[in-house]
Amino acid sequence: MPIDKNEVVGKPTGAAKIHIERGPVSRFAAAVTDTNPVYTDLDAARAAGFEGIPAPPTFTFAARVFGAFAEDQPPDPTGGRNYMGEVMGMLMAEGGLVLHGEQEFIYHKPVQSGDVLYQEGKITDIYSKESKGKTMTFLVMETVFKDAAGEPVVTERFNLIHRK
Amino acid sequence: MAKPKRKLIYDEISQGDEAASVSHALTRTDLVAYAGASGDLNPMHTDEVAAVAAGLPSVFGHGMFSMGLLGRVLTDWAGVGNLAEYRVRFTKQTWPGEVLSTRIVVTGKRESDGRKLVTADVQLHNQDGEIKLSGSAAVVVA
Repeated sequence: MPIDKNEVVGKPTGAAKIHIERGPVSRFAAAVTDTNPVYTDLDAARAAGFEGIPAPPTFTFAARVFGAFAEDQPPDPTGGRNYMGEVMGMLMAEGGLVLHGEQEFIYHKPVQSGDVLYQEGKITDIYSKESKGKTMTFLVMETVFKDAAGEPVVTERFNLIHRK
Repeated sequence: MAKPKRKLIYDEISQGDEAASVSHALTRTDLVAYAGASGDLNPMHTDEVAAVAAGLPSVFGHGMFSMGLLGRVLTDWAGVGNLAEYRVRFTKQTWPGEVLSTRIVVTGKRESDGRKLVTADVQLHNQDGEIKLSGSAAVVVA
């Protein structure tokens, strides 16, 4: 049964207040094999022009996991509904695989430990394509991380692809 | 306000320039460490028994691990804090035992909003030339 595109496009995926801390940043850098001392040594980070430990380029994709503290989260813009999860659930019920198709980061300002970022996401598109007898459904999302002044710091866009 | 030191110099860069290629042999431990550091605990990346039961030859790598790995090589090349844009398409899954190598090729340069930018095509491929991710980046230079 086809997904009703009008149901989900424009819907929020969530909002969070994220504290960027040097412990998770350092572990993340090590996990992506980066041994640059700026990620573990504040003196090295300062010598490189930063005020805190800088975040590696893909860190914001994972930042919420460590940095969203339960006591100071913003109101949930989804009203408790997980639109992305619902769409993916409907597609997965038909069998097949869900894969991360594309990922984009636009960096407006550096991210470093000590920063507090405000994350808001929404679904921006959903469409299907037939390819070699398979149906591929693309779910496109955009997430913006802003600082306390409301200025964008990082913009992420990504899509998930369901293939069956 | 952070002011990352610029590493590359606009006048010294030409279209077609390539950053030195870096290789990394992917291990299951890499995937476990990345799962912990990113919060992505999908068993397809960390639980070999579950992955094989699901019909896969083994666990496979997180696409975002590969993007992080290539991101490390980009920041080694241009200096940490100098990425303006970074985008990839995940074309093939990665598997433990593969040797993943980077390819970064300059495609152009321009001045924009008072910043000097260099654009590059970026790629991660395995020892057989199979492309795992493919995309582009823009870096800020001096």
